[in-house]
Amino acid sequence: MIKVSNLTKEFLQGQERTRVLKGVDLNIKKGEFVAIMGPSGSGKSTLLQLMGGLDVPTAGDIQIDGKYLNKMSEKERTIFRRQKLGFVFQNYQLLPTLTVEENIAFPLHADGKLTKEKNRVIQELIQAVGLEGLHRKRANLLSGGQQQRVAIARALVNSPTVLLADEPTGNLDRANAEEILRLLTVFHRENRQTIVMVTHDIFAAGFADRIILFRDGGIDQVVSREEGDYAKYLANFMA
Amino acid sequence: MSVKYGILTLLYQKKHHGYELKLELDSLFGIKGKINPGQIYTTLDRLIRDQLVSSAGMDDQERKLYELTPKGKDELEKWLLEPVPYTTTKEDFFFKWSCARKINFAQEKKMLEQQKAVVIKEVMELTKLKTELLLQGDESKYLLITGILLHLEADLNWINQVENRIH
Ligand SMILES: Nc1ncnc2c1ncn2[C@@H]1O[C@H](COP(=O)(O)OP(=O)(O)O)[C@@H](O)[C@H]1O
Ligand SMILES: [Mg+2]
Repeated sequence: MIKVSNLTKEFLQGQERTRVLKGVDLNIKKGEFVAIMGPSGSGKSTLLQLMGGLDVPTAGDIQIDGKYLNKMSEKERTIFRRQKLGFVFQNYQLLPTLTVEENIAFPLHADGKLTKEKNRVIQELIQAVGLEGLHRKRANLLSGGQQQRVAIARALVNSPTVLLADEPTGNLDRANAEEILRLLTVFHRENRQTIVMVTHDIFAAGFADRIILFRDGGIDQVVSREEGDYAKYLANFMA
Repeated sequence: MSVKYGILTLLYQKKHHGYELKLELDSLFGIKGKINPGQIYTTLDRLIRDQLVSSAGMDDQERKLYELTPKGKDELEKWLLEPVPYTTTKEDFFFKWSCARKINFAQEKKMLEQQKAVVIKEVMELTKLKTELLLQGDESKYLLITGILLHLEADLNWINQVENRIH
C-alpha cells in the first residue's frame, strides 16, 4: 500500500549537489509496522518526509493507497496528508499555549467545525493515551512523555491509514519510551494502521514487524520477524 | 572456542609445525584459553583423517609441517560465514571474527551483516515476548528479558562500530 520506487533526493548546498537518497525501492504492506534504522545522516528523515508528502523527490515515485504523491499539486498533497497521514516527531511539535484537547483537535479545524462526534473521538483518545484529567492543561506544562502522548493522539485524530514517526522516543528516557511504544503497538493492533517509524534505538525498533537498515542513502539490509523463532522463545522462557 | 577452527585459521595463512601452532593458538584464544599440546595433536590427527589438513614434509630442523587442503580452506570459509545463534554464547562470534581478521577474510562485511540480522531478529522476538510478559504481570521474566536486550544492544553497537570502520 506504500510503494516507493527509485526514490532519489538531492539537496543543493551552495554550489554543491548532494544526493541524499540514491534510488530507494521499498514496499510496505497495509497494516505493517516497519522501523527504519541507520546511522545519522544516512537519509532516514528525508525518506520519511518524502513518504509523508512534506517534501518532493528529485526523481522516483511514492505511491500511497494507489495515489502518486509526487504527481499531486501542492494543494492536493496537503489535503491527502490531512486525510490519510498522521505524523509524530522527536520534539513533539505541539502548540505550547494550547491545551491538550486543543492540540489534539487541531488537525480537525481544517475541515470546519468540531462536531459532537469529533469531540467524542478526542475524549476517547485522551483516555486511550492515558491523559485523563489533563485535557485542559496547557501543552508546555506537560512532561516530555505526556507531550508525546498528546502528539500521538493528535496524529490519530483523523484515523489516518498511515502513521509516520520520526524518532518518536528520541527525547525520552527508557521508561517513557517503552510507554509510547506500547501505545503505538496497541493502536497498531486495534486499528491495523500502517506504521513507519524512524529510530536509532534498537529497543524501539524491536516492536516492529520488519526493520529496514539504512546506510548512505540506500537500504543496506532488511530483517523480518519469523514466526518460528517466537515459538522457540516462548518454549525457552516459559519452561 | 574451537581448536579445530583455530588450527584451520592458522594454516590458512601458511604451513606451521605443531609447536608453532600451540604458540599461535594461545595468542588467538587470548588469555582465557591455554591449550595443552596433546589437544592440538589429537585435533591435527582428526583433521588429517578428514582430509582438511595434510602433512607437508619437515622444516630445516626436522619438525613436521602441516598445511591446509583445499577442502580445509572451504570448511573454514563456510564456518566463518555461518552466523552464530544467540542462544549459544556471543564469545563464539568474537572468536570467529578474530579468525576472520587474522586471515584478512574478504567477506568480513558479509559476516557482520549476517550476524547483525541474527541479533536484530533476537531483539524483535524478545521485545514481543517482553510486551506479553508485561501484560501478564510477570515482572521477573520481564526484567530478565530487559537485561538480555541490553546485552544485545551492546553487541549491535559493536557490530555497527566495526562496520563503520570498514566502510
Ligand atoms: N533541507 C536540506 N538541505 C540540505 N541538506 C539536507 C536537508 N535535509 C537533509 N539534508 C542532508 O541530507 C543528509 C541526510 O539527512 P537526514 O535525512 O536528516 O538523515 P537522518 O535522518 O538519517 O539522520 C544529511 O547530510 C543532511 O545534512
Ligand atoms: Mg533524522
